[in-house]
Amino acid sequence: MCVFYFARPLFVNSPKNIENSASEVAIHSDELVFNFISDEEKYNKLYAGKIIEVVGFVKEISYLNNTNTVILYSKNGTSGVICDILPNQKEKIESLKTHQKIKVKGICKGFLKDVILLNCYIDLQPNE
Amino acid sequence: MNKTLLLLLFFLGSFAAKENQFIARQGQISFFSYTSVENIEAKNNQVLSFLDIDKKEIAISMLMRAFVFKKDLMYEHFNESYIESDIFPKASFLGKIIDFNPLEEEQTKMVFGKLTIHGISKEVEIKSTIKNTNGNYSISGDFEVMVKDFDIKIPPVLASNIAKSISIKFNFKYQPYED
Repeated sequence: MCVFYFARPLFVNSPKNIENSASEVAIHSDELVFNFISDEEKYNKLYAGKIIEVVGFVKEISYLNNTNTVILYSKNGTSGVICDILPNQKEKIESLKTHQKIKVKGICKGFLKDVILLNCYIDLQPNE
Repeated sequence: MNKTLLLLLFFLGSFAAKENQFIARQGQISFFSYTSVENIEAKNNQVLSFLDIDKKEIAISMLMRAFVFKKDLMYEHFNESYIESDIFPKASFLGKIIDFNPLEEEQTKMVFGKLTIHGISKEVEIKSTIKNTNGNYSISGDFEVMVKDFDIKIPPVLASNIAKSISIKFNFKYQPYED
């Protein structure tokens, strides 16, 4: 049993380990949302629980429930990517503007009306 | 389109007038387990909810993996052993608000509906506070669920760590729904 726990990846809920971990998937927000809408079960198996890197454009910045959240646009109606940003990214989130292109790295939790990413780090990118 | 979203839209009647429908993409649900051995608390800030003020209906869906715990091991036990999130990734609630008056600024009403956790559905009634601030609705409240009602198996060695009755709190702030 002990071996089982030590062998498990410990980043599942731990922000400090995500920062220095390589992402397993790199994808655009349009494609990520499209994939979940087209076959949620298939892409849940591929993405859920994994560290993924998403490139997209900022639709909304929210501080609801004392959390820092960035929502990325997608081309799929009103669905997008909800990124729960870590508290140590506060300066970056405060500098963001809507329609700005960014890269976000976080743990994919699955899909409701939007794709949900937790423990996210922001990598600012120049607008195209 | 995913099954949960289809179910929620069907429940609300996707052809109804949109001005009577509201959405909360970042609803908050917390649960608490209090025992003499340890207290366990988890919070989910990305809960989806739709509110239809004409039909007086509310629909909620959440990802079980999106609950955040203080300890990684609690998260692992919750998702892998108790809730089995790989098999049952979501919990949901579909309910009706009794005697709801959308024009009142603040009211406490009972919500009757079906709560589904771990693939098991139970009829529940939940006392809820509903606020209307200039046409922006919010719903909050708390209730208890029994672990045994949802076929959640706790190993005997950990039985003293998990309360038989779990306290659940919720808070949804809605915006007009535009699709």
